[in-house]
Amino acid sequence: MELVVRKNDLLRELQLFQGIVERKNTIPILANVLMEAMGDQLSFLATDLEVGLRSKCAASIAKSGALTLPAKKFYEIVKSLPETDIRIAEDKGGVKVAADRFDSRMQTLPREDFPTLPESGGASSATLPRSAIKEMVEKTQFAITGEDTRYFLNGALFVLRPEAMSLVATDGHRLALVTVTRDGKPDDAEEVKAILPKKTLGELARLLQEGDEDIRYERGENHLFFEVGGRLLISRMIDGQFPAYERVIPKGNDKHIEFERDRLTNAVKRVALLSNERSRAVKFQIDNGKVEVTSSSPDLGEAKETLPVDYGGASMQICFNAQYVLDFLAAVSTDIVSIELKDEVSQAMMKPVGAEGYDYTYVIMPMRV
Amino acid sequence: MTDRFSPATILHADLDAFYASVEQLLDPRLRGKPIAVGGGVVLAASYEARAFGVRSGMPGRRARQLCPDLVFVGGHFSEYQRLGDAAIGILSDFTPSIERISIDEAFADVAACTHLFGSPAEIARTVRARVRAELGLPMSIGVARTKHLAKIASQVAKPDGLVVVDPDTELEFLHALPVALMWGVGPATEARLAKIGVTTIGQLAESSPKSVERLLGHAVGTKLTALAWNRDPRQIQMRRRAHSAGAQSALGRRPAIERVFKPTLHHLADRIGARLRAKSLAGRTITVRVRFADLRSVTRSLTLSAPIAATRALAEIAEDLVRGVLADHRNEKTISLLAIAVSNLEAHAMVQLELPLGLGDEGRRPGTKKGVARSRADRAIDAIRKRFGGEAVDYGSAVGGGRSVPDEFRRLVEREL
Repeated sequence: MELVVRKNDLLRELQLFQGIVERKNTIPILANVLMEAMGDQLSFLATDLEVGLRSKCAASIAKSGALTLPAKKFYEIVKSLPETDIRIAEDKGGVKVAADRFDSRMQTLPREDFPTLPESGGASSATLPRSAIKEMVEKTQFAITGEDTRYFLNGALFVLRPEAMSLVATDGHRLALVTVTRDGKPDDAEEVKAILPKKTLGELARLLQEGDEDIRYERGENHLFFEVGGRLLISRMIDGQFPAYERVIPKGNDKHIEFERDRLTNAVKRVALLSNERSRAVKFQIDNGKVEVTSSSPDLGEAKETLPVDYGGASMQICFNAQYVLDFLAAVSTDIVSIELKDEVSQAMMKPVGAEGYDYTYVIMPMRV
Repeated sequence: MTDRFSPATILHADLDAFYASVEQLLDPRLRGKPIAVGGGVVLAASYEARAFGVRSGMPGRRARQLCPDLVFVGGHFSEYQRLGDAAIGILSDFTPSIERISIDEAFADVAACTHLFGSPAEIARTVRARVRAELGLPMSIGVARTKHLAKIASQVAKPDGLVVVDPDTELEFLHALPVALMWGVGPATEARLAKIGVTTIGQLAESSPKSVERLLGHAVGTKLTALAWNRDPRQIQMRRRAHSAGAQSALGRRPAIERVFKPTLHHLADRIGARLRAKSLAGRTITVRVRFADLRSVTRSLTLSAPIAATRALAEIAEDLVRGVLADHRNEKTISLLAIAVSNLEAHAMVQLELPLGLGDEGRRPGTKKGVARSRADRAIDAIRKRFGGEAVDYGSAVGGGRSVPDEFRRLVEREL
């Protein structure tokens, strides 16, 4: 293989692979990116066996072929080079990467060791609007559990129906559900569900950062494919049963309070500074016309901030992990948010007020003494 | 502290045949007779009984065979606590630098009080005399430069004696003694060392550290070699903060089956859970230890996302871990000991409730409906026991697990001192 490629073209693609390659390095080849040169294109592939990414860029190819290079080191080298042409050539001793007056030779691993990934072109596919998906990922990603024992919660459930699509994630303490309406074709399958790994969502969000193309989505037997602007994200599905999340969304929470989002965010942030460092508990004391957010910690002290609200119902108090409240407040963009409560031990429900184009429900369990 | 020239100021004080001595003190008719505290199992034996070969931990039947005149007595547990506290109290009249390691033994460092009360040997003599005069109990004391050597010296001093080890001749003293006297050398290690011809501490000291490490593992090997040369940097720890809570149960030789280990684990979990709850603590890491017939032990642990102190949850996790151990050691048919420890302790103040997702692991999570119900049940049981005593109420699953050792005794041994 021998080619010349522009630094910025190469760098843009290599950057996208930094989150994909395996960091633990248990299987050496998974730290490498596979590059294939053919015609006037250089194509890339990397995977950690859970998530894979294919992409390509233009290059002038003197000799076609394929080779693998350590994704991280290769990226660092390319990044450090001046904006110029980069020459890549394979010889007996390794792979030559050169530009300007810089010269290097990198160790390679045999192309044959690189795993094969499933190809798209299977059963059901759909076009998904880019901005809606981006929004959905941002509003649910943070609620995915980090606990390995509940592997079926290590991702978000994607539900695709002809008239709407939803993404839902939970860590057992809070649940985030976002639904967007869509105009599916009448011959679309009734309902297609899949659990998307946390890492897949993160990489998808990265692919959606730039550009304006929509997403072509395809569900294979064990894999999902997301094609965005010529790049293809391939993800294993989490094999498991996502819990019946509809059941935990409270109905009949009779206490409704609205807050200005900024004021609530600032109050919770400030008060949480003196909360117990492990539990991060803040208390909401709700009375006629006001909500008092308080915290106390035997080692640190105590704090209080009063927020005037339009509320005339029964008084109550409820404790939350401040981080869970702040996660929601950071994920929404409306000026006003609402909270609906029943009692101090039942699910609370938070929603953005006046959100357009999507329906967002955040369910959060209180803390108790 | 432990340089070669430091004086011998560490005392190890140990009440002789403590439980049996208390019984003989309380009932003069038992004095001079071979007695054992316990029934199914010998918890403690008087020196008269020991002369016949009766040892603590021995099945009652075997003890009677060895000593037909053996008198079994039930335990006066509150008296043990009171007299144990009183004996340590006498020691603390001399120095606050005391580390109590069980109900009947403690270390003390008298380096700072010799100008008030005389040499360490004089202090030890006074303590022994006062314990004898004020409490009527025999106490042996070892005095040395390190904790390890002081403890060995007190064992050598028994019964009712005092041994002061002169720093100039401490290695001669130490090296002549059998390895079994060393702290950390149990029957299993003793047998292994015997295989390479090591029976005295001197032989252990002269063995190549490499071969000892190969035999006993790096950590144990290094530690024992250092102790054999009286290198022991450990200082008196006056106040130990609890980092973990544990309990164990010696089973003799019992088949490795559910019917045996389940009630035992439940009972252990109950004891640990109650202790944690009494201190408003809960732990995230649960460790079990299973010892097989050949005294080889296997441990297994699990770390949870939220700390627990609930008896049932602890018991279920311990059961799973033991099942895992047994599944990996299918040829082991007999277990001789089970132990549970809970570590990664946290103050148990706020509980994050969990969404009712209907998942299978809810019993192990303190914030689920089931978890909350379990802590309520535990609190109710704790309250009843506090009022009416430990045997007043029990969990259904723990009933019927035959106990050879009374729980009052367990509590005494496991109590935070």
